[in-house]
Amino acid sequence: MIITRFPSRIIALGVVAASLLAAPAALADDPSDIGFVDQSALSALPAFVAADRQMQAYGSNLQRDYIGRARGASPAQQQALAQQFQAQIADKQRELLGPLFHKAQVAIASVASSKNLSVVIDKRIIIYGGQDITASVRDLLTGIGDPVPPVNTPPPSTVGYVDQAQIDALPSIKSAAGDFAKFKADEDRATATKLRAAKSDADRSAILKDYQAQLEAKQTATIKPLIDKTKSAMSDVAHKRNLVLVVDRANVIYGGTDITADVTAELK
Amino acid sequence: MRAILAAAACVVLASCAHAAATAPAPGPSAGGAVGYVDMDALVKKHPLYGQLAQYDTNIEALDLTAFAPRAIAAGPDLQRETAALNAQLDAAAKRTNELLQAKGRAYQAQEDAAIAAALRAAAVPNGPSVAEVRAELNATARGQTAEVNTQAQRDLDAYRKQLEAQDAAQINAAQRVLAARADRTFRAKAEELTAKEAAYSLTLANADAAQRLSLRTRLSSLALDDQARDDANQQLAALDQHEADQLAAMRNTDQQTLATLKAQLSAKIDTDMRAQVAPIRARSVQRFQERERELHEQFSAPGGPVATGPPALASNPTLPADLRRRILALHADYTAAFQHDASSTIADFTKTRSDLAHRYAVLSGTDQAASQSAQAEILSLQKKRADLYAEMVAQIGREVKSIATQRGISVVVSDVAAPAGGIDLTDDAMKDIETLHE
Repeated sequence: MIITRFPSRIIALGVVAASLLAAPAALADDPSDIGFVDQSALSALPAFVAADRQMQAYGSNLQRDYIGRARGASPAQQQALAQQFQAQIADKQRELLGPLFHKAQVAIASVASSKNLSVVIDKRIIIYGGQDITASVRDLLTGIGDPVPPVNTPPPSTVGYVDQAQIDALPSIKSAAGDFAKFKADEDRATATKLRAAKSDADRSAILKDYQAQLEAKQTATIKPLIDKTKSAMSDVAHKRNLVLVVDRANVIYGGTDITADVTAELK
Repeated sequence: MRAILAAAACVVLASCAHAAATAPAPGPSAGGAVGYVDMDALVKKHPLYGQLAQYDTNIEALDLTAFAPRAIAAGPDLQRETAALNAQLDAAAKRTNELLQAKGRAYQAQEDAAIAAALRAAAVPNGPSVAEVRAELNATARGQTAEVNTQAQRDLDAYRKQLEAQDAAQINAAQRVLAARADRTFRAKAEELTAKEAAYSLTLANADAAQRLSLRTRLSSLALDDQARDDANQQLAALDQHEADQLAAMRNTDQQTLATLKAQLSAKIDTDMRAQVAPIRARSVQRFQERERELHEQFSAPGGPVATGPPALASNPTLPADLRRRILALHADYTAAFQHDASSTIADFTKTRSDLAHRYAVLSGTDQAASQSAQAEILSLQKKRADLYAEMVAQIGREVKSIATQRGISVVVSDVAAPAGGIDLTDDAMKDIETLHE
């Protein structure tokens, strides 16, 4: 038993060591301290795929159950059932995927730390350059044992990020977004009715064009000034703090400089 | 579910990251300059943006009509009601066909009576009977229908040729861009190597400058004997030869480097072309198949395609010209009247079908089959849209990469929340993308 398992352990450790030893070389190839990870490649790992399958099976069963119970129920009962359905899905997601995400996060932090990266961002927003650490992270995740978290914090980064959810929660922005959402919901309902009554493709096209124009006009009047103001505040803060750019928090996986509090203060 | 997983992965990974990572204060970036582009703006300038916008509109339309809030059918037997609706639709189609046939027969009878009256009034000796005139008109009508089919096939062929021409234009444009990019890279490398050769030549000259000066000083001395003069000249020649050899060796290496680069660039053009040509062709094939399907549906719909050519010509030689014109006029009038009448019948059927489809949608509500069907259509459109978007972004990415390389920028990011000290490459990339329209 030991004999058969030992070589694979050595290979796995070798891969991890190789990935760590390769860090300076990679750093020399790309001098930036910005790394990136292809999260879709990580989600294709067997552990994630298996969890995904389990989630799909669970979701399908739950959905069948929901449809059976919703048929014939009153709208209020249907709403309660839908909420229950969503809560159950979220619980299962936490149970199945939570530990995997945590492990992935530790692996990313470990690799980023070994390569002295100040920030790791999602591959989707990288157009060119940066250090791709996906392979190293994948090796750590598929190796034997859990990855070890780094002891040091990320070095200071010139890439800033904002938590858009916190910015959106500011009263002025929340109120404008609420107005717009209400307007959109009304427009959606009216447009859906018009589309059902439309007799030709030309009619439908005209209705949709009008719908889009209405939304755009409303957005320009209510949301755009706030977006411009927020962008300006972000730029001011970024310049004051010598940052090269600011991205959304959702795109930053590790490190970076959080300027949300400064931006929020500037907007108040 | 996979999309949920991916989205959840992004959010959870990002959340976990910030729980653990806190940067004390930013310092200077370890590498070169960082650039950014406004991907939305660049996508809007791409030649394929029109098609992308069309996908968005279609998805929005489906989203609005298929998933607007509505009550779930409370009836206990959804299948029975669905079957009833299907039966109504079948009955409507059957009724429409019967009505069209009945109307066709009625108009033909009226036309025959009018032709018979015209023949009687003309009293042509040995003239054709109504049945003979009718047979000739029907034969011509069949010919016209065949002509409609042929025309449809011709239109389809023309569409295919149009798609092929579009493909060829796109492929040519892509090839030009790739070739221009490869040429830029090659010329930049050649210039870099030439500059290095010049610098190396200068370094070699500087390295033995003192020795040359000393030799030339010795040679300028009149007191130098022949032996010593020859010796100094030989040393000077040796220095020249050494420099020339060194430089020639470097040039040989550079030529090899350039030849290798040329081969690599050529291979890369081939790879990139293959990557670009495949989706262009696939898209055209799909568009052609869609058109073919539309045409098939049009021909198989109740009433079918209506022949809109000139009225049938009665070529019977025994008919006087006036009578022939009269018969043609009658035929044209009755055909027009039938087509007008038939179009209202077909419009009624279309409306009935649309109403039934709507009732079916309302009835099924969150019924899994109906919902899945709409969802499948949306998913299919979303996939086509995502493929197209990925293709556009990849092409934009290649342009941006080329610009970044030229400007010595080490990282380029899109979707920035706000610009700061980074370099905005959007305008430069936009100019390159606009050349794709050519």
